[in-house]
Amino acid sequence: MATEKTYYTIDPEGKLTCMKCRVPLHKGKAKFMYLDNGFPVELPVCPKCGFVYVPEELALGKVLSVEKALEDK
Amino acid sequence: MIIKERESTHVYRQKRLFTKEELEAREVLCVHEQPAYCNAACPLKLDTKAMVAAIAEGDFTKARALYEKITPFPHILSAGCEAPCEGKCKLCSLGEGIAVRELEVAAVRWGEASKKRGLLRKKTKKAVLYGMDLFTLFLAGELAKKMYPVTVFCAQEDYAAVIAACTADLPEEAQAASAASLAKMDIKFEWNADPASALAETALKYDLVCASWEVANQVYPGLEIDEAVMVCREKKLITGKTEGVLGAAFGAKKAALSADRLAQNLDPANTRGEEGSVETKLYTNLEGVEPSVRVPCDTKENAMAEAQRCIQCHCDECIKGCAYLQHYNKFPRVLTREIYNNVSIIMGDHMMNKPINACSLCGQCSVLCPNGYDMAEICHMARQNMVSTGKMPLAPHEFALMDMVFSNSEAFLCRKQPGFDTCKYVFFPGCQATAIAPATVRAAYLDLCNRLEGGVALMLGCCGAICDWAGRYEMHENTVKFLNEKMAELGNPTIIAGCPTCKKELSTHENVEILGIWEILEEIGLPEKAKRLDKPIAVHDACGARGDTETQQSIRRIAETLGCIVEDTPYSGDKSPCCGYGGLTQFTNREVAKKMTDKCLERSGLPYLSYCMACRDQFAREGRESMHLLELVYGTSADHCPDISEKRFNRLSLRNELLKDVWKEEVEEVELGFAIDYTPEAIAMMDNRMILKTDVIRVLQNLKETGEAIFDGDSGLCVTRARLGNVTFWVKYTETETGFMVHRAYSHRMNVQTR
Ligand SMILES: [Zn+2]
Repeated sequence: MATEKTYYTIDPEGKLTCMKCRVPLHKGKAKFMYLDNGFPVELPVCPKCGFVYVPEELALGKVLSVEKALEDK
Repeated sequence: MIIKERESTHVYRQKRLFTKEELEAREVLCVHEQPAYCNAACPLKLDTKAMVAAIAEGDFTKARALYEKITPFPHILSAGCEAPCEGKCKLCSLGEGIAVRELEVAAVRWGEASKKRGLLRKKTKKAVLYGMDLFTLFLAGELAKKMYPVTVFCAQEDYAAVIAACTADLPEEAQAASAASLAKMDIKFEWNADPASALAETALKYDLVCASWEVANQVYPGLEIDEAVMVCREKKLITGKTEGVLGAAFGAKKAALSADRLAQNLDPANTRGEEGSVETKLYTNLEGVEPSVRVPCDTKENAMAEAQRCIQCHCDECIKGCAYLQHYNKFPRVLTREIYNNVSIIMGDHMMNKPINACSLCGQCSVLCPNGYDMAEICHMARQNMVSTGKMPLAPHEFALMDMVFSNSEAFLCRKQPGFDTCKYVFFPGCQATAIAPATVRAAYLDLCNRLEGGVALMLGCCGAICDWAGRYEMHENTVKFLNEKMAELGNPTIIAGCPTCKKELSTHENVEILGIWEILEEIGLPEKAKRLDKPIAVHDACGARGDTETQQSIRRIAETLGCIVEDTPYSGDKSPCCGYGGLTQFTNREVAKKMTDKCLERSGLPYLSYCMACRDQFAREGRESMHLLELVYGTSADHCPDISEKRFNRLSLRNELLKDVWKEEVEEVELGFAIDYTPEAIAMMDNRMILKTDVIRVLQNLKETGEAIFDGDSGLCVTRARLGNVTFWVKYTETETGFMVHRAYSHRMNVQTR
């Protein structure tokens, strides 16, 4: 299988817990979608309910800059 | 309600902004790149303006280099040029124009001769000149410069004699210099010749045959020439009769160009390009320019002083007044072309989206420009165009558009005055007044009800300017329709607008009678509790009142009635700049909006009196003492600048309180079932990040329903999120006894999912 490009990866290192499922978040596969463009990433994800956590630094940093770039495409 | 996000970036649609002809017709209005009056007057196309600028800086060598570009004999030309440029100098209308010819002499005198040698290879076609007069002398120089091998048959015996014969009045020193430069030119002289018999005998040996007018007439009496190209077609002879030094120099230029055409066996009259002096459309503002008189250019310093009188004619009327144009540092002509191209891009980066969305659409440029260049219209058209092709991102405008939706739904109110079946008037205060100064709106409405005959209805909402500014034409049409229906329900009363932008916007609706509240107040007089303000103030004219002199005057009269000493500021009235709110600049580009506000405030150090609540708010935020006319009139001041959540809260509370107090209708408050507190940091952060308290409430309600949140062991904060429309909002909180304490909030537009 061809290795898929992952645009961003972050490991929760056991510091994040899903409050609903009471289990630690792990590094999981996620995807950002915007204006019909997809970006595979690895983010903290709850293994039970699938809650994907987008940290503040990521939202205001990389995510924002990609949004802006796509908006003007 | 959700506003639809733009389409996929992979949809390749495009629509022309306007035709190429219209583009050109617009571009031509911008005269910034038109030549200065002196440059345009010079048939030899001297960059006079640049030459004078070089002398003003003391760079005589640079000035001389510019001068040498147009003539092989700078001494001769500068000494005798008739200088039509001087009469065209803009300073002539005030005092004395620049002594251009004297400055040319100065450049030649104190500047070093250009050492640049032509790197061109010698041409193969050979040129010959018979007889030396001023025209053929210049022509010999021009042809040598063009790298033709040149041979001259003349009656004189040496260079000095040639120069003396051609330029009898030239001072000795200049004659010597000219003779020296003639000697340096790569021209072969046949001295002591009889040019007329030489022409008859030797002309066939050469490709390009030129003769002085006298010699040509000796050989071919009564010959006819085409003056425009200095050629006798019948004899294939380059010659002509010229008058004066400039005439000879210009004639030689034309003849040299004809030589080029003939060398290629082409008709000398075709495709010659622009020759001679031209008309310029330049505009130059002489405001603040003092009349002055010529300084004799007898020393370097005096020549510099004379050159320094030059005002370097140019037109920057629009850019001087507009923070937006200054920010992008582009003249409308260039900006238009780039926007036109941007709109035509099918795929790839649209670099001009930001400038298109940063214009305040205030229309100041159309007043400042001597030709009425309307950048606002172009930016507005471009926005509509982008919306129509699905290329307009929603992100820059969504907050403002949702704010408008809020104004015209949850916070909307339309009621007749209690006890009236029909109302003569309806008060329309506008979305900014209700958001920023609700107490003033309330006082104004109650006053109008009290003092006007015939009933005054009330309509709280947005006039539609917001979606119009965003280029959302469908939304705008719907808004117009909605408001028209509501007006019809009231029996189409005369609208009393509280805001000049609303007045302008609503007056475009069909069958509308509209007045500004200021006009009513002038008619019925000011209320008793009107606050006198006995001090000097600066009036900031709203962009909504551009072209509405009656409104501008009315505001000033009311201010004066209240004791204000209205001091005139630059860029007032129709020339007024935008406060930074207009055109949604405040939402699309805070940096430019701030510059716009600063530009407004730099005009005066006095407290500002506005008649648009958005202006009042923008100025107050910058720390200036700022008030709205209605705050004075009703003695109610909006004491602090509300944040984005307070603006919504204010509108809603005003609506609900008026419903309760005036119409005796109770509005049921929705119970949340939990308390929300915010840290001061969260409040500031939310305002900055355009996150409303109502967004946070919805996220926390979602949390209550789903229980979806995570705990971050590092910060000790819980984090939850909800997708609201096109945006995902995240809230960091701690639980309290009664509900939540919000610590941070952020958002993103991208959708995230597991894969
Ligand atoms: Zn979970």
